[in-house]
Amino acid sequence: MEEMTGIPVVSFFIALGIFLALLLSIAGFYYFRHRSRQKYPYGKWESILKRLSSVDRGNVALIALDLIDKRGSRSVDTEESDLDPSQIWPLIGGMAGLEAMERNCAVLVDLVFYVQQWYPGALPITEQLRLNAREIQWHVSRLKAAETTGKLDALFPDYAQRAIATYYLMTRCVLDLYDRGNLPGFVDLQRELG
Amino acid sequence: MHASPVELLFWAAGFLGHCVLLLVLWVRHRAGTFPFFTAFIGADVVRSIALFAVAHHGTKHNYLVAYVSLAILDLLLQLCVTYELASHVFRPMGTWAPDVRRGFANLVIAGVLVAACLTCMPTPPSKALWSSILGRANLFSSALLCELFVGMIAFSVKAALPWKTHCARIAQGLGFYSLVGIVTAAGHGVIGMVRTSTLSHELTLIREMTYLTCLSYWIVMLWRHAPRPRDLPEEMRTQLLILHSSLEYDLERLRLWKR
Repeated sequence: MEEMTGIPVVSFFIALGIFLALLLSIAGFYYFRHRSRQKYPYGKWESILKRLSSVDRGNVALIALDLIDKRGSRSVDTEESDLDPSQIWPLIGGMAGLEAMERNCAVLVDLVFYVQQWYPGALPITEQLRLNAREIQWHVSRLKAAETTGKLDALFPDYAQRAIATYYLMTRCVLDLYDRGNLPGFVDLQRELG
Repeated sequence: MHASPVELLFWAAGFLGHCVLLLVLWVRHRAGTFPFFTAFIGADVVRSIALFAVAHHGTKHNYLVAYVSLAILDLLLQLCVTYELASHVFRPMGTWAPDVRRGFANLVIAGVLVAACLTCMPTPPSKALWSSILGRANLFSSALLCELFVGMIAFSVKAALPWKTHCARIAQGLGFYSLVGIVTAAGHGVIGMVRTSTLSHELTLIREMTYLTCLSYWIVMLWRHAPRPRDLPEEMRTQLLILHSSLEYDLERLRLWKR
């Protein structure tokens, strides 16, 4: 056995140990991820809520209600809008704010989809929110393209306010669903979206 | 070549286990679903008989040649089994998902490189050169198979693709055997497969006992039926049918519009 001692054997077994530890860690990580997905197939409600990015709710409401009323109908006095397009950009936080809003759309869909697992009647709302999310995504992508070509000023009034108004209606819709259904988590949700 | 009673016992248990497993695969109609796995088990039966015959009637050199040739065949078949399991998991409807296919190809390349690096790491030269080479070759195959199985687990979890019951059981058995095989092969790579060495003999016994355990596990699991999948609720089935016909209609309209 004396030939087994020495640096090469030690380094060989250290490398082997690291290799095995890495293999087992990766396998363990994915195994527990799989188990967690089996346990919570639709995700944990708290973790869905945590994914909401910070968007100034007051400013969102201000911009949206300038275009629509609380039920989503177009405001009668739209022609006499109080907000100038140049004011909307800083109020929403620029392109970063719009992107945060776009990310939140996916969370809103997930929040309603979560409810749908126990209340299948929520299916039309989920589908409507999916369509709204797609619409916002489309508006934001047009604005991003306009930003790269230097035409943002011309397109911003058309797309940004409509996207923000749709987002506002989505948040109202989710809150309304949780409120009417008397669902747990409404208070937390109102704190985040209300 | 003289075989000890323990070696004969392991040989007999392995041979019997393989025959029973082949019978299970045939009786339960699993051979059509897992042709490479069936070929792998069939080759092990042939290997057991061939090595036993050569050990009793051939020279030491004949045995070495037969052992190496059959070990290469064994490795190739194990890789085929891995591919078979991967295709069961990643192309359940007959087509590979493009991102998974590329990822799997990268995994194979990375796996071969890492296993080769591990196998080529310097250790003090063993007195028994051939047995040391065989140990290293076993280390390479075990490390590669382990990497492939871990990679497959990762890809399947990421892509949310389920492992069907029998496929998962075959992978678990082969994966566990490969994991133990890394340790025993590493030991053999350093000290060589020397029949006179107690440590080498114990490592061989551990590997063979692990293999027999996996063989028993496969026999039981492949004999048992997979749990019946839950039926789709009628309401959901109707919804899916409506969605399917609506998609077909939209697709037809899109095709007409494209023309």
